Amino acid sequence: MMIKLSGAVLLAGAMLALVATGRAAEPGTSNDIFPYPVTKTVLDNGLTVLTIPYDSPGLVAYYTVVRTGSRNEVEPGHSGFAHFFEHCMFRGTVKYPADKYNDILKRLGADSNAFTTDDWTCYHIVASADALETLADIESDRFMNLKYSEEAFKTEAGAILGEYNKNYSVPFQSMYETLQNTAFTTHTYKHTTMGFLADIKDMPNQYDYSLKFFDRFYRPENCTVVVVGDVKNDEVIRIVRKYYSGWKRGNYQVQVPVEPPQKEEKVVHMPWKNRTLPYLMIGYHVPAFSDDDVQRASLDILSQLVFSESSPLYQSLVIKKQLVEFVNGGVDDHRDPFLFTALSRIKDVKDVDSVLDEIYAALENAKTVPVDAQKLRDIKSYIRYAFAMQLNKPDNVAVTIATYIALTGNYDSVNKLYALYEKVTPEDIMHAAQKYFRKENRTVVILEHEAAQ
Amino acid sequence: MSTPSVDAQQATRITEVYVPNSPLVSFRIVVRTGSVNDPAGKEGLNALTAAMIGQGGSQSLTYQQIVDKLYPWAARISAQADKEITTIVGEVHRDHVQEFYGLLWELVSAPRFDADDFARNKDDQLNYLKNTLRGNDDENLGKAGLNLLMYANHPYHAVVAGTVQGLNAVSLDDVRTFHRAMYTQSRIIFGIAGGYPKELIDRIKNDLSALPAGSFSEVPLPSPVQPVGVEGMIIQKDNRATAVSFGYPIDVTRKDRDFYALLVANSYLGEHRTFNGVLMNHLRGDRGLNYGDYSYIENFIQDGGSTFPDPNIPRRQQFFSVWIRPVEPKNAHFAIRAAMREVQLLVDNGLTKDQFETTRDFLIHYSKLWVQTQSRRLGYVMDSEVYGIPYYIDYLAKQLSLLTVDDVNAAIKKHLQAKNYYLSIVAKDAGPLSDALLSNAPSPIQYNNPNVPAEILAQDKEIQVLPVNINKEKFTIVPSGDLFEK
Repeated sequence: MMIKLSGAVLLAGAMLALVATGRAAEPGTSNDIFPYPVTKTVLDNGLTVLTIPYDSPGLVAYYTVVRTGSRNEVEPGHSGFAHFFEHCMFRGTVKYPADKYNDILKRLGADSNAFTTDDWTCYHIVASADALETLADIESDRFMNLKYSEEAFKTEAGAILGEYNKNYSVPFQSMYETLQNTAFTTHTYKHTTMGFLADIKDMPNQYDYSLKFFDRFYRPENCTVVVVGDVKNDEVIRIVRKYYSGWKRGNYQVQVPVEPPQKEEKVVHMPWKNRTLPYLMIGYHVPAFSDDDVQRASLDILSQLVFSESSPLYQSLVIKKQLVEFVNGGVDDHRDPFLFTALSRIKDVKDVDSVLDEIYAALENAKTVPVDAQKLRDIKSYIRYAFAMQLNKPDNVAVTIATYIALTGNYDSVNKLYALYEKVTPEDIMHAAQKYFRKENRTVVILEHEAAQ
Repeated sequence: MSTPSVDAQQATRITEVYVPNSPLVSFRIVVRTGSVNDPAGKEGLNALTAAMIGQGGSQSLTYQQIVDKLYPWAARISAQADKEITTIVGEVHRDHVQEFYGLLWELVSAPRFDADDFARNKDDQLNYLKNTLRGNDDENLGKAGLNLLMYANHPYHAVVAGTVQGLNAVSLDDVRTFHRAMYTQSRIIFGIAGGYPKELIDRIKNDLSALPAGSFSEVPLPSPVQPVGVEGMIIQKDNRATAVSFGYPIDVTRKDRDFYALLVANSYLGEHRTFNGVLMNHLRGDRGLNYGDYSYIENFIQDGGSTFPDPNIPRRQQFFSVWIRPVEPKNAHFAIRAAMREVQLLVDNGLTKDQFETTRDFLIHYSKLWVQTQSRRLGYVMDSEVYGIPYYIDYLAKQLSLLTVDDVNAAIKKHLQAKNYYLSIVAKDAGPLSDALLSNAPSPIQYNNPNVPAEILAQDKEIQVLPVNINKEKFTIVPSGDLFEK
C-alpha cells in the first residue's frame, strides 16, 4: 500500500528561474514557464508537428494527439465512441495487420498505449530514438489506412465492456457517471468518456458508424504529432514529411450543443450495494479552459486556497476533526464549460451533512475574505514547482504539451496560462468564487451503502 | 546519468545516483522491515509505523506544519510498505534540498507519534481493509485473496495493511517500540539521486551515524506450501463482473539464474499491459473476454499511471500468477479454463527459437524504459543491493544475452506447472460458479460476435470442457466481509 503526504492536485507551473539550470535544455523565450525549445511545423495537409529536444540519451517519446474525445459524440446512441475508436486503432492495416504492428513494437522494446478523454485522444510510444522512422511509418500508416474487419470490431467491443466492468467496482467511476449525467442536460459532457452502458452494449452493431467516425476525425488538420527526446528537428520533419504527406484533409465540423445555465441545485443519492464509506462529489459549472481569462485562472488558485492539504478546510476535516479520509477539489480543464469538482470520503454516514456544510462554508468564505499576500505567494510557488517537478522524463514533457494542444490547439497556452497565474489578485479569486459557487449552479452526488439509506 | 555508487561502510550505507544536471533531488530511504516483522496479533503494525512517518509529524513539527512547509516547494514525502521492505520516498526541487532533507530525516529518525496522527492513520488503514478492499476494488481484492491462499501459516499471510483485529490491537506505544527497533543503522539503506550538492552526503553520513546501531536478522521464511489440485475460494460480493487471480509460489528471485529464463517465458505468456503475451492476445484480442490478461513471476504493483512496476518491493520468496481482469459472469468459467490452457501450452511446448529470440530482445530493450526517472533508477539500484546482484537493468541484459531457448524451456519445466493452483475469484454468483467449477460442467463462451473464425471456435470446443482439477476439500465460498478480519 502507498501512504501519501502532500502534493494533492497536480497543477502545473514553474518560472524560468527554477528550470533554466535543468536537464541541459535552453529555455524557449525569456518569460516562458515551459523550459524547452519547441519547433512547430505545419505540413501542407494541415498536420502539425512539434519537436522538443530533451536530454534523454537514446530515448524518444512519440505522441499523436487527436482533438476528438467524447465531447464529439453528438449523435444519440454513440456515446463512448471516441474511446471505442481508440481501441479500433490497434486493429491494424493492410500493410501492418495488428499482429505485425505488435511484432514491430515488440522488437523495438517500446512502451506503447493510448488513452481517451472527454476532449481528445492520445496515442503514445516511448522507444529508442533510433526507431524514429519506424514509429513514423507504423503510426502514419494506421492513421491514414486503418482497416479492420467487422468481426474484429465486434470482438473489440467485448474489451470495452470489460473496461467498463473493471472500473465499475470502484465508486469514483460510477459517481462521475452520475455527476455528469445530472449536471449536464444538453452538452455531450453529459456522459463520461466511457459512455452510457446501453451504448457500450450496442457497440458491436455500430461497425458502419465506426468507418464514418474515422473518416470524420482522423484527419491531419485535427491531429498533432509531438516528438520529445533525443532528436533533431530537421530529421523529425524529413521523416514526418515522408510518411504523412499523403494524408488527405477532411472537412467535418462538429456542432457540440451548448449547455444552458443551471437554474437550481440538483442532489442525487446513490445507493451502493457493497459496504462502503460514504463518498461526496460536488460539481459547479465553470467556464471552458482559457489561457487569457484571469477569472478562470483564479479558479485554479482558488482550488489550492480552499482544498490543498495546506488549506484550513483540509486541516479541519482531515487532521483536526478527522471526519473525512480526504477532501480535494479543482477544475478539470476542458475545451467547453465543465465543472469544478470537490470530492471527499467521509468516515461516518452521520457526518455527511456537516462535511457538506463545512465545504460550502469554505467556498462562501472565499467570496468575501481576501487571501493574504504570503498565502498567495505560496500557492503561486507551489504551482510553479509542481510544474517543474513533473517534467522529469520525455513522456511527461510530451503529455504536458499534448494537453495544451488538445485544449486550445496551441502549445504556447501553457506559457500564457502560467503568466496569467502570476497576475491573479485576491480580488480576482473572490470575484470568481462569487460568480461560480452559487447553490443553483451546483450538483451534489452522495454515495452511501444502501443499508444506510 | 552517472554510475551509481554504494558506500561500503556498514554503518552508513548510502546509495548515490548523481545526476548533476537534474534540478530535482530524489530520496529513497529503504528500511529492512516489513509486514513479516509484524508481531502475531498485531498485523499491520509495520505499515502503520510507516504511515506515522509518511503522514505524521516529527518531533519539532506537527503534521500540519510539515504539510505547510512542503507546500510552496511542491515537495513530496510518502511511505511505501511491503512484506520485507519499507521505503520512505521523497522528492524536492534542489532549490530547497537542504531544508527538505532536514525535515525528511527528522520524520524518519524522530517521528512525533502524535495521538491524533495515530488515530487518523489507523482509521485510514482499517478503512482500507474494511471498505476499500472488501467493497470498492474487485481487482485488488482478487489479488489479496490469492495472497491469503498462497501464504496460509506463512509470514507473508496478512496483506501489507494487516488485519482488522491486528490493527485494533496496535497501540501508539507499540508503534514507538517498533520504530525504535527497526529504524536503526543496521536496517537502513539511504538512497539519493539527482542534482544534490555533494556536501549533503557528509550531512547524511553524520545523521546515519547518530542512529542507534540496532540489529538486523531476517525473519525466517518457511517454504510456502504448494497447492494440491486447484485450491481456492470464491469471494462473494455484489459486482458486475468476475475478477480472477491464480498462481502458486516459485522458488526463484532476481538473484537466481533461472529467474531470467522465466522472465522470458513470462513475457511471452503475459507481459503486463502489452499485447505481447499469448494470454492477452487469445483472451482479449481473439475473444474480447475482458480488458486485459497478464502473468507475473514476482510481486508486481503498477507505478501510478505507467505500465511499470513500483521499485522497492523486493521479496525473498516470489510467486507465479495470472491476472484475468473482470469478465462477464457468463464467461468467467470459460476464461479461467482458457487462461489455464495457455499456461498448459507453455509448460508442454515451451517457446520456439524465434519466440525466444524476439521476446528476449524485447525485454533487453524494454527494461531500459523501467528507469526513465532518476527516482525509479535509484529504486532499482537499491533493490539490486537487497537482492545482492549487480544493477538489475544491466544484469538482466547480461543474463538474457547468455540464455538459450533450451535454458528457457528447461526453466519452464522446472518451475512452472499447469495442474495445481491457488485460485481466487471475486464473483456475485458464487454458488452456481462454484458448482460449475466443481463439476467441470461445460462452459461454452457466449460471444457478441456471431462470426467468430472457425479456428477459434474449434479451440473453444476444447477449452469449454477442459478439466480444472478443483480440490473439493479446499475450495470455499467466503463473503467479502469476512476477509482480512484476523
